Amino acid sequence: MLERYWAITVSLFPFLWKGFIETLYISLVAIVVGSLIGFFIGVVRSQRVPVLNGLFGLYIHTLRGTPFLVQLYLFYFVLPNSGISWLSWDSITAAFVALSVYTSSYVAEIVKAAIEAVPRGQSEAATALGMTRLERLWYVVLPQALKLTVPPMSGVYVMIIKSTAILSVIGISELTRQGEISILRFPRDVLFIYGLIAAMYFVYCYPVLRFARWAERRVGAARIVDLD
Amino acid sequence: MSANPIVVVDKISKTFPSADGRGSHLALDEVSLTIEPGQVLVIIGPSGSGKSTLLRTLNALEKFDTGNIVVNGVALADKRTDLNRMRAEIGMVFQHFNLFQHKTALENVVLPQVVVRGRPRSEALVRARDLLEKVGIADRANHYPSQLSGGQQQRVAIARALAMDPKIMLFDEATSALDPEMVGGILDLMRKLARDGMTMAVVTHEMGFAREVADRIIFMDQGRIVEEGEPGSFFASPSHERTRAFLDQIL
Ligand SMILES: Nc1ncnc2c1ncn2[C@@H]1O[C@H](COP(=O)(O)OP(=O)(O)O)[C@@H](O)[C@H]1O
Ligand SMILES: [Mg+2]
Repeated sequence: MLERYWAITVSLFPFLWKGFIETLYISLVAIVVGSLIGFFIGVVRSQRVPVLNGLFGLYIHTLRGTPFLVQLYLFYFVLPNSGISWLSWDSITAAFVALSVYTSSYVAEIVKAAIEAVPRGQSEAATALGMTRLERLWYVVLPQALKLTVPPMSGVYVMIIKSTAILSVIGISELTRQGEISILRFPRDVLFIYGLIAAMYFVYCYPVLRFARWAERRVGAARIVDLD
Repeated sequence: MSANPIVVVDKISKTFPSADGRGSHLALDEVSLTIEPGQVLVIIGPSGSGKSTLLRTLNALEKFDTGNIVVNGVALADKRTDLNRMRAEIGMVFQHFNLFQHKTALENVVLPQVVVRGRPRSEALVRARDLLEKVGIADRANHYPSQLSGGQQQRVAIARALAMDPKIMLFDEATSALDPEMVGGILDLMRKLARDGMTMAVVTHEMGFAREVADRIIFMDQGRIVEEGEPGSFFASPSHERTRAFLDQIL
């Protein structure tokens, strides 16, 4: 029995490994690109810029209020039918765009909340010293806000990593898709193969969660000393 | 007295939307005053009388609805006024210190010099160390605010404000959040500043300090200046019933 599982693992591993690398690659790109976009949107929203604020609000709420699967279909199946040639994306482009955009909607809200969580007195003191709005943001508010984003951001990253599984429906050969193909080869071992896949996701996600815990403790540690 | 006051407040009024969202609340009601260079103006009054609001309009942390304020020759109501530039000339000390939490005491004093004044870092460091020495906290230069007592934080906050070479200093209940044994030290610092000729506007409940240091005292109630005078006559024979009641209560 054990031997049989070992044999399956050995024969499938290179194939699943390829899927794992694809998952790693797509999720990392989405996390980096999505975070950059989200960071920008979050900062703008925290500043209550008149027209942009409403526009970005719509963007965020639309993305957060609809299933990722539907968004993915939109980018992959609907946009190409618009007849605009540069919107006819292959599946990998559609995957990158959909996942990055989805990530940005969560990051934006985290960044905005973190900026708003920095006590008012901080930016008031900076204002009283003569700093401009940008200087206040850059030198006083953002450094403090960024620390606050670490724990919630890690949660979003893990969610995004797990969401890559959905990309299998448009034929991206990421981990879940590779697993499904493997099951066609070993139909009697569905449970074992899904277990294998789950383990590989876990190996990726768990360190991220541990890092979040560690970072949270470090961020907290800088503030506990109070001699007053 | 000089012919050129450093602050002229001319009939300013300010309303806040009231707490229930309907209607509004008059926080300042046609307030006028002037501050001469080198003068110490002390503002007293019951809680909610508009002292903080008045002080905060002087450096445009708070806008006013009508009237005008001229500080250092700059009219605040003028749309073309660069408020940030104007604020750099006015030091402000807050009740809750508001030190930058992510910076050490030293870096709190260095940052605004570099960012706002454009001083080279080396020069800003020398000035910061010098000021921390002067406010008696040089030995805590590398501590973060969270590692300092309230009194120590307020010393750093005063050094930070002074580092900008302000023409006037505003103090909004600078000792109200401190443990009693810390109050004296901060008042001493303020006294020293006044003696060195700094122009100051001070909101405080410390009547001993007011009597001793103030050139002029203003009593506010319900957004209005009810009474003003020099400390001797102000404390000896207040002319308004509300001033008398307030002083009876607090002394
Ligand atoms: N940001 C604000 N929003 C609404 N009302 C305010 C605000 N700041 C002050 N007020 C009101 O204005 C009045 C004067 O407040 P304040 O100047 O802080 O008084 P003081 O400093 O004398 O205690 C109070 O009634 C207060 O509730
Ligand atoms: Mg007040």
